[in-house]
Amino acid sequence: MSLWYLILLPLAGAAAVFVGKSTLSKWIALGVSTIVFAISGVMAFQFAPVWGTPNTGLVSHTPWLNQMGITLGLGVDSVAMMLVLLTTLLTPLCVWGSFSAIKSRVKEYYAWLLILETAMIGVFAAQDIILFYVSFELTLVPMFFLIAIYGGKNRAHASIKFFIYTFTGSLFTLAGLIYVAWKFKESCSPDTWSFSILDLVTFASASDGLSPTEQGWILLALLAGFAVKIPVFPVHTWLPLAHTEAPTAGSVILAGVLLKLGTFGVYRFVLPMVPEAVVVYAPAIAVLAIIGILYAALICWVQDDVKKLVAYSSVSHLGFCVLGLIALNPIGLEGAVLYMINHGLSTGALFFLIGMMYERYHTRDMNTIGGLAKKMPVWSFFMVFFVLASVGLPGLNGFVSEFMCLLGTFVSSPDNEVWPGVLGPEYAAISAIGMVLAAMYLLIMVGKIVFGKLKEPDNHLAHASLPSDLSKREIGILVPLALLCLWIGVQPSVLTGAMQGSVEDVLSRYPEIVQLEQPTTIPQMEIKEDQHD
Amino acid sequence: MTSITSISVISKLIATPAADVSQVAQLPGMHWASFIMWMPLISLALCGICSAFKVKTKAPAIITIICLATSFILTLLLWQGYQDPEIIHVFDWLKIDWEDGSFIANFAFYVDSLTLLWMLFVTGLGTLIAVYASEYMEHDVGKGYTRFFAGVSVFLFAMTCLVMGDNLLMLYLGWEGVGFASYWLIGYFYQRPSAVAAAKKAFIVNRIGDVGLALAIYLIWSTFGTVQYDEITSALGSGYKPTFDGWTVQAIPYLLMLAAFGKSAQLPLYVWLPDAMEGPTPVSALIHAATMVTAGVYLIIRTYPLFMLEGSHALEVVAWVGGLTAFFAATMAMAQYDIKRIMAYSTVSQLGYMFLGLGVITSYGAAYHVFTHAFFKAVLFLTCGAIMHGFAGQLDLRKLSGLRKMKGWKIVSYTMLIGCLCLAGFPFTSGYFSKDVILAEAFVTHGTGFVFLGWLAIFTAGLTAYYTFRVWFRVCAGPVHFEPGDELHGKEPANFHPHAPRIAINFVLVAIALGALLAALPYFIPNETEGIQGGWVAEMIDDSPAKKGVPGVDLDSSHGDILGMDPHKAMYYISAIVGFVGIGIAFFIHLLSRSTADKLRCKLLSNRTTRWLPTAMENKWYVDEIYIALIRSPLWILGKIFSLFDRYFIDGALVNGIAFIPSLVARWFSPLYNGAVQSYAISMIGGAILIALLMLFMPEIVEFLQTLSPPIGSDQSIAVVGGAQ
Repeated sequence: MSLWYLILLPLAGAAAVFVGKSTLSKWIALGVSTIVFAISGVMAFQFAPVWGTPNTGLVSHTPWLNQMGITLGLGVDSVAMMLVLLTTLLTPLCVWGSFSAIKSRVKEYYAWLLILETAMIGVFAAQDIILFYVSFELTLVPMFFLIAIYGGKNRAHASIKFFIYTFTGSLFTLAGLIYVAWKFKESCSPDTWSFSILDLVTFASASDGLSPTEQGWILLALLAGFAVKIPVFPVHTWLPLAHTEAPTAGSVILAGVLLKLGTFGVYRFVLPMVPEAVVVYAPAIAVLAIIGILYAALICWVQDDVKKLVAYSSVSHLGFCVLGLIALNPIGLEGAVLYMINHGLSTGALFFLIGMMYERYHTRDMNTIGGLAKKMPVWSFFMVFFVLASVGLPGLNGFVSEFMCLLGTFVSSPDNEVWPGVLGPEYAAISAIGMVLAAMYLLIMVGKIVFGKLKEPDNHLAHASLPSDLSKREIGILVPLALLCLWIGVQPSVLTGAMQGSVEDVLSRYPEIVQLEQPTTIPQMEIKEDQHD
Repeated sequence: MTSITSISVISKLIATPAADVSQVAQLPGMHWASFIMWMPLISLALCGICSAFKVKTKAPAIITIICLATSFILTLLLWQGYQDPEIIHVFDWLKIDWEDGSFIANFAFYVDSLTLLWMLFVTGLGTLIAVYASEYMEHDVGKGYTRFFAGVSVFLFAMTCLVMGDNLLMLYLGWEGVGFASYWLIGYFYQRPSAVAAAKKAFIVNRIGDVGLALAIYLIWSTFGTVQYDEITSALGSGYKPTFDGWTVQAIPYLLMLAAFGKSAQLPLYVWLPDAMEGPTPVSALIHAATMVTAGVYLIIRTYPLFMLEGSHALEVVAWVGGLTAFFAATMAMAQYDIKRIMAYSTVSQLGYMFLGLGVITSYGAAYHVFTHAFFKAVLFLTCGAIMHGFAGQLDLRKLSGLRKMKGWKIVSYTMLIGCLCLAGFPFTSGYFSKDVILAEAFVTHGTGFVFLGWLAIFTAGLTAYYTFRVWFRVCAGPVHFEPGDELHGKEPANFHPHAPRIAINFVLVAIALGALLAALPYFIPNETEGIQGGWVAEMIDDSPAKKGVPGVDLDSSHGDILGMDPHKAMYYISAIVGFVGIGIAFFIHLLSRSTADKLRCKLLSNRTTRWLPTAMENKWYVDEIYIALIRSPLWILGKIFSLFDRYFIDGALVNGIAFIPSLVARWFSPLYNGAVQSYAISMIGGAILIALLMLFMPEIVEFLQTLSPPIGSDQSIAVVGGAQ
């Protein structure tokens, strides 16, 4: 079975939605996205021999523009497969979650959601950079419409900012990627271009591939797109705006998958392609990530809008993920990949919950609403559950990834003989303050909206069609997410074991490079020790 | 660069786990003992089912009691059959292998006698307090009853993981787990804002300690290549000399201390515990007196070897923090009127004694005090709870009097007396013996200021006796008089009749009070192991890491003396005298002539030079206010500033500015926003053209770029990396 099914089926579904009756569109969308999920589940089993190895599975190459060397190559390694599964899981839930919220222009809505799924899977499954880039940009269009048509009051501004900001960034990414392709053509095959990621990575990471200067430029170009997407401080300001204005499903997809396109890009391109530049720039990136963790956490603390709070918490959380990515050891990188999945699950669920509250009360202001535990015990249970997952309570998923990212950062020192890195304990110690701040702002939020005296705005009866507490449909959306959070919290080794091969492959050249880059530290150290004696 | 020097040690270790041979027997598969942990979880699941079916009976309580009792019986069986430390593997939890190393933290239990000692009183008291709560919480049957017992089950599950875990990550799981259970149960009355605030505060303050624990785990793993207790201990025992020099190993105990002080409410992180009294009283008794707050003591005993490294001052810090906490908390307890809060401060103070004990290297004394304290403090809290329950929430000791003469309150009064006697260190009660071990050892062990701490602790013992009996003489003795509290459930205060506790509460009070008395016996039970002073408890912690091969430390510390006598003998007399003095003062000013205390207070307040003393004591030395002024408010203001900065500078000035200046670009994009699909198609085509252009003109672009100065060169790269270290 080929990955093409996963990409084309939602597209066909979108067409069907568009052609079909608008009363049916939500059912078509739910059906199609569920089938896609089922297929991806079957694929995960087909994929079995690849789990844990560095290989790429489910490969298919469709010639496209042969004379240009552009093929439509598809294939996933184990990390990409996990993210594909995350996407195919979240999409039907988003469709299901939109049943009561979307009342007008229904057809378009579900069509855009399905197109978005196609684009996201395309990004994870792409084996050549053109397909990657096209998919990467294609995610912007449906998302733009989801925000611009179905968003809140300030939706026009938010959608434009979202589009331009991320689009501008990714143009640089494109330039960087094409430069590598050009360089490859220049030095390896004078006549034909190749856009295959595998070729380019092999070429670029070879010691005679790119000069350090070139690597530096390419790193900056790639990060211009990916850092905006993640988002890293200080290019994060589009995110709170987009989140606040987006409809619930839009926010879930945005937090759950779209942000991971950035971290996935770092994993797929930045780390393997330009290792020497990564080693040089990692401390600077880490500093930005740490600033992001603390800065965004403090901003969360003073927010009144729940959705904005959770949006800023994404900026803070993804800082940990970035630290794990550039820790340059398997424990950090596995933690980072796990973080992508966990953040998708728990923050996605938080956005669902906020959406459910918003549908009932039409407000997200913590000053006008509070004490919902009395009125909505089931909702409150899930709210507390996912907040705890987000805070990093051991036994749930968030803990494992946060712990691994920080541990990876902590031991990522140049003198670590097995997996030398360029960060160190001080980075981990400072960012660990983020753990306290996360508990602070999330529990303050829970303390306000879940606990305390019941406080409801006056116009809350607007949606008489919804029960006061969660309906079976809404519980059905949250339960799978909650079970996954619990399962990953208890059995994380299943996932870390599965991604191990890919992760080590990405990192395989780093030990040697870090040691080359650090010629001065070792003699210095010996002198110090002599003085001690 | 110092960090690099010391981390250098680390690297090798990741490759080679320090301990080559693990002598500890590893038991495979599902061992029956793992049900000690599963039972609370089963209870939680059943409570969840009760909650789903909206059960309106006492079923959740019965389920919980049965499950916890099973846990207790299993613990007893495990203790009976105990011979050597063993590891019970349940399942793989976090297990990351790579070519040259691994991070392994399995879901496994490390059963040695230290574990068993803790588990015995955790599960035993847990069961009894659940029985008590079944009656205490009966007003809430059908409302929060199930939620309460589910919380108790979560707590016991987490506590089991904390105490029984075979590695530091399991301990961390339990550590945060009990914090969460505590959050759950303190916030039980979730509609009361003060309860919600207290729950939040407890979790957040504990989180600060948790970060210390997490960092300690990172350091331990990077130093020893393992987080399993037995491997760490054997690594230390096998002379892991080279690593002892770096700051890394020396830093570990301070980080662990941070964690322990957070969980066990020591200076400066104690502030959450008094507020935690917002929870229902059984919770205060179980979590915030007997079990959870002793986790810090457990942690330090478990990792004792790391505190005893050569040249380390860690234990002296522990002793000082413990001693000072004991003293300050006692002064705060003296000036409170809420009897439950008095008990809370007293818990902080007694925990201070335990840390003092750890600091002066008597882990046995500390553990013994944990053991006796668990019983007598539980009984004190539970009697306070019974009073609160019977008098509609009344806890003010000025508004209650003469309970022992009232019908139905005899058991409460006299079990409270037993608790008070033990806490005050009345001769031949359990508290007397356990406290004496610590006090005497302060004079025996050499350390900076230990003698001063010893005298301070003796003085504090007097304060303790005073405030303890202040409660008892006010509430239980004297003429009968009471005012109901504010939880009247709509009844008129005039028609109020206190309802005396019934069988469940009385039974539990008697059982735990007996336990508190009998807890003196272990002091006399001779132990079979040779060369260990102290009784059964000393034997129980004998094969814990606390007593195992620690390089560089001579455990037979030379004997000091106190006033020319052997400290252990002298302390019997000194602490008895101090205790009598304290009780005597309380007797005079709180029973014989109750107005004296108020007069004294007025006198102090009216005098300008002494006014600060009662004010500061009643306001808990303004520690909460200091926290708010120094940490909370500045951070909050910083958050506000960042929020504005984000909106107006980063987003407003930078992002919008950059987007605005080349307005041509904006105009070029502008067709994009009209919402027409065509323009998106155009932009996609535009993208394709862009790709083609880039491909064609790449040489020119590169040439142009090369004319610019390179961002990195070999010299700069080192500078960047070096600078960041």
